Amino acid sequence: MRASPPAGQAGPQLTAGPVIEAPVIETGALTKVYPGGVTALAGLTVAFPPGVTGLIGANGAGKSTLIKVLLGLLEPTRGTARVLGYDCVRDGMRIRQLVGYMPEHDCLPADITATEFVTHMGRMSGLPATAARERAAEALRHVGLHEERYRQIGTYSTGMKQRVKLAQALVGDPRLLLLDEPTNGLDPAGRNAMLELIERIGAEFGIPIVVASHLLGEIERICDGLVAIEAGRLLRADTMDSFTRASQTLLIEVEEGTGALLNELARRGLPARPYQRAVLVPIAGDDTYDAVRDSVAALGLPLSRLEQRRHQVEEIFRDDDLIARPAHLEAADAY
Amino acid sequence: MPIESISAQTSGTGRPPAAGGVIHDLGYQRYDGPRLGRQRIVAALAWHSFRSAFGFGRGAKAKIVPVIVMIAICLPAIVNAYAMSRGNPRVVDYDTYTPVLRNLIMTVFVAVQAPELVSRDLRNRVLPLYFSRPIKPGDYPLAKYLGFTAACLVVLEVPLLLLYAGSVVNVHGGAAAWAQTRALVPGLLLGVLWAVSLAAISLFLASLNARRGLATGTVAIAFLLTYTLAEILLQIETQAATNVGPRGPGGEPLVSLGEKVSGLFSPFTLFDGVRRWLGGTNFGDNVPKVGAFGAVYALVLIVIVGLSLYGLAARYRRARLS
Repeated sequence: MRASPPAGQAGPQLTAGPVIEAPVIETGALTKVYPGGVTALAGLTVAFPPGVTGLIGANGAGKSTLIKVLLGLLEPTRGTARVLGYDCVRDGMRIRQLVGYMPEHDCLPADITATEFVTHMGRMSGLPATAARERAAEALRHVGLHEERYRQIGTYSTGMKQRVKLAQALVGDPRLLLLDEPTNGLDPAGRNAMLELIERIGAEFGIPIVVASHLLGEIERICDGLVAIEAGRLLRADTMDSFTRASQTLLIEVEEGTGALLNELARRGLPARPYQRAVLVPIAGDDTYDAVRDSVAALGLPLSRLEQRRHQVEEIFRDDDLIARPAHLEAADAY
Repeated sequence: MPIESISAQTSGTGRPPAAGGVIHDLGYQRYDGPRLGRQRIVAALAWHSFRSAFGFGRGAKAKIVPVIVMIAICLPAIVNAYAMSRGNPRVVDYDTYTPVLRNLIMTVFVAVQAPELVSRDLRNRVLPLYFSRPIKPGDYPLAKYLGFTAACLVVLEVPLLLLYAGSVVNVHGGAAAWAQTRALVPGLLLGVLWAVSLAAISLFLASLNARRGLATGTVAIAFLLTYTLAEILLQIETQAATNVGPRGPGGEPLVSLGEKVSGLFSPFTLFDGVRRWLGGTNFGDNVPKVGAFGAVYALVLIVIVGLSLYGLAARYRRARLS
């Protein structure tokens, strides 16, 4: 055992001791205006708890800028940002020692083996040569690359390359992982495998993870919490539970008489609303089902579909928040 | 999941944790060992760059050019050793080595290997991975420069040491050996001048191009074109001075300003001008006796190397993540 305290544990203890859910990332009125006047972040105040958190936003919402600021590579115009308790402007180097980052784009050389590449990246994370070799083998095993790891990366499938990208983020034993669009370019099976892997790293390895994505429907099932940003502002931040609780809805589709059904449900006190060709009713309890059944029966409507929907976070955003989008945008512009 | 099936297999067939045996815990392990600081990481990257300049850590194909370069540049030293063993005096000089051959070989080496160090990373977009690590953006070009300077130094100095070894074993007496040693030292120092300059210029030019082939072309053309230009100008100016120029007291043609200026156009003639300015007397790259004008050669060389290093650093100043 080593006598000297390892450098990696000099910072705030986030993994040991009783689980006090200190946020792994905290921003306060974080603003970044690029030279030329483009506002990428407009007063973003948000906290990321430990666990797997989705960072949701369309392209250009400010995700990349936020990641750069968090890694200490871009100085914010105003506001504060802290990662694992360290200030992003002052302690960027320390943060980069503790954070594993997986970029969105291709970032792998084709003509060396995964083992050599991940070992080199381990060295670049500050691991001594032997430790880098050992941890590279470990990281590649964890992401599911076995014998293939001695082959040149150029011969890999997209899914395998994504795994190498994840392994190089993991090699330095990060205290936080920032994954930028980790399912980019993958087919459905590859996407599922990657998401399961991320979930496993978050749950079993106990590493807090931020998954940036523009596809909410894809990552929501592995996230403990969600942070949605748009036009550099916080749209919504909450735990997954409260998102899904809010999104427990019943979808009712009748072949005709949708309008009459809406009126009937409203008469019975249910806040029904039209959704595409169907009707959505928030589920308050068993009474809701009874009321819906009675309404349809009373009107004698041909019921074609009755479906309980759990994962509708995307629809909630679309319906509730994104309708308010023009106001957000105006506010951002006026900033 | 392949991961789970493999771990299940391994733990099923793994050795029992007998006394002295290792328990194979396949779960995630934290790293509690030491972490190296920024300087050590830069050193590791420089060492990695040095190795890749010779194709180590890459396939066999990447070693072809470095090996050919090393053989080609060592040949004169080997030929010299053979000639001296037959009783001839030393035929290759330490300070100029074999001027035109060495210029061409070094051009090939930096044109092929500088892109290997910088263009590949640009092309493969590996830079975000470096920038997200505990170094500063400027550390990346610094490490590349240190590594490549060391690599150029090896290519330049190894043949000189071979030349020295081949000469020393063929001369007799301490005085003769000492004379060889004294002649070697300026050669080695000039090698350092070449290495720091060639590495800076070629890395900067290569970093402008993410496509490796284009980067190689850029570096090769820049060195060959300027060298040819300087040589042509030197010949024109030397002839003009010989035919119609003013004569010195001994009747020999005076070195005209045109001749002196002509040598400023290529790194290789600049090296030679500086060599002559510092007192070198051997015949090199056609550069005339520069006299005090050699200071201008040194100045121009310093400016070119400085601008190259500035350009190289500027290329990586903004840490981009995409």
